[in-house]
Amino acid sequence: MASTFFRTIQTHPFLLLHPTAVFRRKNGVLRCTMRSTQTQTPTQEKQQSPQIKFSPQNPNKTFYEIPKGYEAIIGIETHVQLSTLTKAFCGCPCNYGSQPNTSICPVCMGLPGALPVLNSKVIEFAVKLGLALNCKLSLNSKFDRKQYFYPDLPKGYQISQFDMPIATGGYIDLDLPVEFGGGHRRFGITRVHMEEDAGKLLHSENGDYSQEITSPTLQYVFCSFMLIFRGSMVDLNRAGVPLLEIVSEPDMRNGMEAAEYAAELQRLVRYLGVSNGNMQEGSLRCDVNVSIRPVEQEKFGTKVEIKNLNSFSAVNRAIDFEISRQVLLHSQGQGDQIVQETRLWEEGSQETFTMRKKEGLADYRYFPEPDLPEVILTKEYVNSIRNTLPELPEMKRRRYEKMDLSMQDVLYLANDINVADYFDATIARGADAKLVANWIMGDIAAYMKNEKLSINDVKLKPDELAKLIASIKSGTISGKIGKEILFELLAKGGTVKGLIDEKDLVQAIDPVEIGKMVDKVLSDNLKQLEQYRGGKTKLQGFFTGQVMKISKGKASPGLLNKILLEKLNAKN
Amino acid sequence: MASRTSLMLRGLSPYYCCCCFFNLSSRSSSSSSKLFFLGKNSNPTIRYCSTKATGGASSLPPPDVTHLAKTARISLAPNEVEEFAPKIQQVIDWFGQLQVVDLDSVEPAIRAESLHENAREDIPETFENREAIRTSVPSYDDPYIKVPKVLNKE
Repeated sequence: MASTFFRTIQTHPFLLLHPTAVFRRKNGVLRCTMRSTQTQTPTQEKQQSPQIKFSPQNPNKTFYEIPKGYEAIIGIETHVQLSTLTKAFCGCPCNYGSQPNTSICPVCMGLPGALPVLNSKVIEFAVKLGLALNCKLSLNSKFDRKQYFYPDLPKGYQISQFDMPIATGGYIDLDLPVEFGGGHRRFGITRVHMEEDAGKLLHSENGDYSQEITSPTLQYVFCSFMLIFRGSMVDLNRAGVPLLEIVSEPDMRNGMEAAEYAAELQRLVRYLGVSNGNMQEGSLRCDVNVSIRPVEQEKFGTKVEIKNLNSFSAVNRAIDFEISRQVLLHSQGQGDQIVQETRLWEEGSQETFTMRKKEGLADYRYFPEPDLPEVILTKEYVNSIRNTLPELPEMKRRRYEKMDLSMQDVLYLANDINVADYFDATIARGADAKLVANWIMGDIAAYMKNEKLSINDVKLKPDELAKLIASIKSGTISGKIGKEILFELLAKGGTVKGLIDEKDLVQAIDPVEIGKMVDKVLSDNLKQLEQYRGGKTKLQGFFTGQVMKISKGKASPGLLNKILLEKLNAKN
Repeated sequence: MASRTSLMLRGLSPYYCCCCFFNLSSRSSSSSSKLFFLGKNSNPTIRYCSTKATGGASSLPPPDVTHLAKTARISLAPNEVEEFAPKIQQVIDWFGQLQVVDLDSVEPAIRAESLHENAREDIPETFENREAIRTSVPSYDDPYIKVPKVLNKE
């Protein structure tokens, strides 16, 4: 298998000169682990069934370059679980992590006679997200039934929206990270629609439960006579929990862009407060569609769907893996082996593998949900929600940019709404934006990282940070002292003024007082003074240190140096 | 308008098949009462349509019962396919009558009725009799519902 691979490489010189080149990323962290033909032994060949393997070292800060002559087309479907208190169509409480099958009722269990009633919060959240994504809202929309035969949704269908989604035709703006070269991107949003989630399906293996990845978006046709009793377990707590599905235009071109799109969506739903956006818990799930085509070709290639992406870096790496897999097949003249299918990302081996091939045309047999009335939005309602929208990430970044902060600062501060709120609250108290940014991104961020705290857990409140910065600026305390008391404020709280008074930290700015200290140091160290005056001027640092020591760090450094130099260079 | 009618018909056929499914497989009491529920729900609609219609035979193609059974995930014996074909045809014919209704001057409606203020507040309400739901599950392995594992047919 490997030798075929190498032969093909030789016949396609535009691709590479060395096999690792296909998968090389800019900084070379990600590499292809194909062995060279010379060192290959029969045993190795056997182990080598998957052709492509990425080593997962430092997967975050990598950037994959698509081989010349090819272009990748990526679109993303994102499911966002809404943070409503109750399910979409019944009053069952939505509590992540509650005891299985406790949040159930006849409606979400699909029992006879039960009728769904829409949760008004679902509409509110859909309108919020639709507006935030610059979409056109449908004042009249409806729900449809999507046929779905799987035990995690007991009704036998999913209530979703088909031909009249609540929001269509929007876009999202984002800034790419500086380490990836930066830049601004706008990705199109095809539609946003409301639907219900399915329950969780678990399989018992060696006493452990593993969750199956199922979803009503799976485009496969199953047959009922393939039921074989093996004992799957269902937890229906999640069945009926409201979701918003966000479908992007196929505007992304590599894994990094796709991961940044997903990260921006997460930021957006968190800013809006419509979802916790937690990927590990499955509150934000991304399914990506990847296809490649030669750059001169207009027609899209066959698209492959990838599921099981539980982090942004998984989105990034899975897509780059998939692109390289497809480019390799295409360049080998095996483009017909790229088939429409769903592949799963395997974190352990850093590969995608076939989940199921498409067996037939998807036939969801959508039809209007007869148990739910039309969803009608009034212009007044939409406007009232528009007026309560918070400042969104993109607006925040543009505002921060105007404060002359670096893009690195801007992206860091706007990334987490709580950090952004903290920053805003501090500058609202008159502190200089750049200084506040430096404090937050430096010592405060380091402290939070070490202590595994979020900014809301930090005892130093914006008001006191502003006072701390003001105390340094006014010269009341030195920057060094400021740094010292910062950690005390972070851990124990208290006020800047209280700490300064308690520890007698006010900076010595009285020239007479500093002069006295300098005199004492000079008279105590006559030998060094003589050496200095003899030309060993490096000793200035020694004297500075001594004065600082007797001032307990409180001497104003600028003033101290000025007075010290005067006295050192003075004639006897 | 023809496409709108056929959309409804597409909606109806799985419905009908669902009824068949639950009827044929009526293993538990809840399945058979579901049949009752669905029947009760769809009957008035059908009656409503037929009173409105001005008559006329359906020009729609006859149902492919084997395909319908497949999409509803049920297995039918050949004699059952024969038995159901005319019954489903009957339903299609009922809907076929709608084709002749002149709707050129009528605004298309998304839904049959539009009641305002029909959404509920987001206030949790725990269903009290959950134990009854759990005990009616054919195979309950506390705290999970045990179901057949669905495997892909290759």
